[in-house]
Amino acid sequence: MTNQTVIKVGADATGFWGKLKVALARRTEGRGVALFIVIASFVTVSQPLVFTAYQVTLGRIALIGLVALGLTAVILMGELDLSVASTLAVSGVIMTTVANQTNIAIGILAALAASVVISLVNAYFVAIVGLNSFIATLGMLFALRGLALVLSDEQPVKLENTDFGIAFGQPLVGPLTPRILIFFAVFIAIQVFVSRVKAGREFLAVGGNRQAAYDAGIPVKRRIFTGFIISGGVAALAGVVNSLERTAADPTAGSTVLLASFAAAIIGGNYLKGGKGSIVGTLIGAASLGMLQVALTISGVQVPVQEIFIGGVLLLAVLTDPSSLRAVWGSISTTFQGIKNSLAKQARD
Amino acid sequence: MAKETLTEAIAVAKAPEDTVAKKSSSFVAWIADKGIFVFTAILILASMTFVDGFASLQNVTDLFHRAAPIGIVALGMTFVVITGNYLDLSVVAQAAAAGVILIAVSNAYNLITAFIVAFIVAIIFGLVNGIAVGYFKANAVIVTLSTTYIGLGLLRLLSGGSQVFGPFDGPIATFGTSKLGPFPYSAVVLVVVTLILTFVLSKTNFGFMVRSFGVNERSTRLAGTNTGVIVIGAFLVTSMAAMIGGFVLAAFSNTAVSNMATGYDFQALAAIIVGGTSVFGGKGSVPRTLLGVVFVSILSNVLVLSQISYGWQQIAIGSLIVFAVTVDALGRRVGKK
Repeated sequence: MTNQTVIKVGADATGFWGKLKVALARRTEGRGVALFIVIASFVTVSQPLVFTAYQVTLGRIALIGLVALGLTAVILMGELDLSVASTLAVSGVIMTTVANQTNIAIGILAALAASVVISLVNAYFVAIVGLNSFIATLGMLFALRGLALVLSDEQPVKLENTDFGIAFGQPLVGPLTPRILIFFAVFIAIQVFVSRVKAGREFLAVGGNRQAAYDAGIPVKRRIFTGFIISGGVAALAGVVNSLERTAADPTAGSTVLLASFAAAIIGGNYLKGGKGSIVGTLIGAASLGMLQVALTISGVQVPVQEIFIGGVLLLAVLTDPSSLRAVWGSISTTFQGIKNSLAKQARD
Repeated sequence: MAKETLTEAIAVAKAPEDTVAKKSSSFVAWIADKGIFVFTAILILASMTFVDGFASLQNVTDLFHRAAPIGIVALGMTFVVITGNYLDLSVVAQAAAAGVILIAVSNAYNLITAFIVAFIVAIIFGLVNGIAVGYFKANAVIVTLSTTYIGLGLLRLLSGGSQVFGPFDGPIATFGTSKLGPFPYSAVVLVVVTLILTFVLSKTNFGFMVRSFGVNERSTRLAGTNTGVIVIGAFLVTSMAAMIGGFVLAAFSNTAVSNMATGYDFQALAAIIVGGTSVFGGKGSVPRTLLGVVFVSILSNVLVLSQISYGWQQIAIGSLIVFAVTVDALGRRVGKK
């Protein structure tokens, strides 16, 4: 599909407008940008506080976006990692428990190591056993949630070194807190990896046509392992950041993050079937959702209403996916064709 | 669907053709197909022997009470799984909504109004999920994840997130505590739903289309079936079952709250897959799901009786899903050969 579009548009790619058209046709962020503009203008009119208190907004965007960035790496390959929500909870619990006994650096390393193990298990089931990633990671989501509860004894684990936790929540460079800096660092790292590094560029090939990628000599299985390690590792990082900022790890954390991060990635124009999408799109999606959430919170809207909004945005994003629209357009035109044919037949008779 | 077959084709092409592998994998295929019978028998015998208080009448009644709502939900969800659309996560919201509506509306108005309102809500859920998945060809996991949040959010908003109680001597309370012989009414409902859904899936045109859609969506469409309607139908069956499951759950304790069905999505999926219905679609049956429900319910009952913590129970169910799906995938690969 991608190639066809590019070739078709590329045929009249002369002059500035032609080149612009080519450039736009290759991007997938259209819906993300549209939603961003709608939300941004709505927020500017009704809640300008969102921009004044940009620290809060950026913090919220980082919260949603961090997990979504990692998730995008897997989605580009046409797989899905539902277990990120539980990975976040498990790594938070592991980090605080280990940090309480030794120190925070070892705690963070332990959490990241655990996430690598989890990702390897996920990727093993998907790449080697050949399971559907939706179902395999769904089982892992459940099992890991249990693991977080077992490890924490079903209680939030308090971080004993509260000074570090409090310091972690303070602005580090200018007005930016470590969370926001980590978010942008991860964004740049994954963006460079996916668009400039050979292994990362091959993610898109694996997602677009797995057989072709295999035939072209791309180590498909190894790429799937890399993708899951990225998504699991970033989720663990998010868990660590959350636990440090709150100076406690909640074993039931992550269920709302799951919805929001999926919404961010899908709004950003990443095809769930793989092969098309971008990290920038995810950033735009996360920014739109973050602004929406902060605006709703500032307006004093209840939590259930916020859930309805995020759920609605996700549903809308899935339904306005180009492939969804094509599918529904196809069935509508088939129906009309059928009606037309039967009318013609009646007229003949 | 094409992608899975492709990965599988790659795996098959790479697998060495030796007899040892074939022998062991045909065993896997047998386990995937018939294993549930053996495992359920072993589990029942083992728990009767080793777990104190398992075989008591009190515990068996309790088992029925717990198995009935989740079982009814799982029976309905079998239709969605057989169409190859993974699962319906929104049963959590649907069952809770049905329970809360049953008790709150019958308190405020009467039972008939409550049934009608719950029925309309179930139809709306089924239609939204079904149209999004059937006509928009959207991913069922993502669609039902979003409808879960929308549904639960609306439910919390309207009910204020608090628990609702029915009157002690009302018809709902009577239904929840009555028994037919040794079986509570909820178990009777479970059996009736099983019979109806078995008939629908194996004897009606619609059931045939559902199975055919799961085996091969394209050929079903080319044969002149309106595949979108089939998917909507499968989601509507799931919604109806989730509604009845929510009724039974609410009647059992005569209370309802918005988070009362938490975990039903996974437990129902576990029961369906363990029963031998394939997540790849096309293969499976309603009685198999009933067997899966028996297995999963006994397993969690034994875990509770042995005073295993909630966390370990979740680990057990999660691992069970992954294990059952693995066996299913390996068994299918052999079948392809």
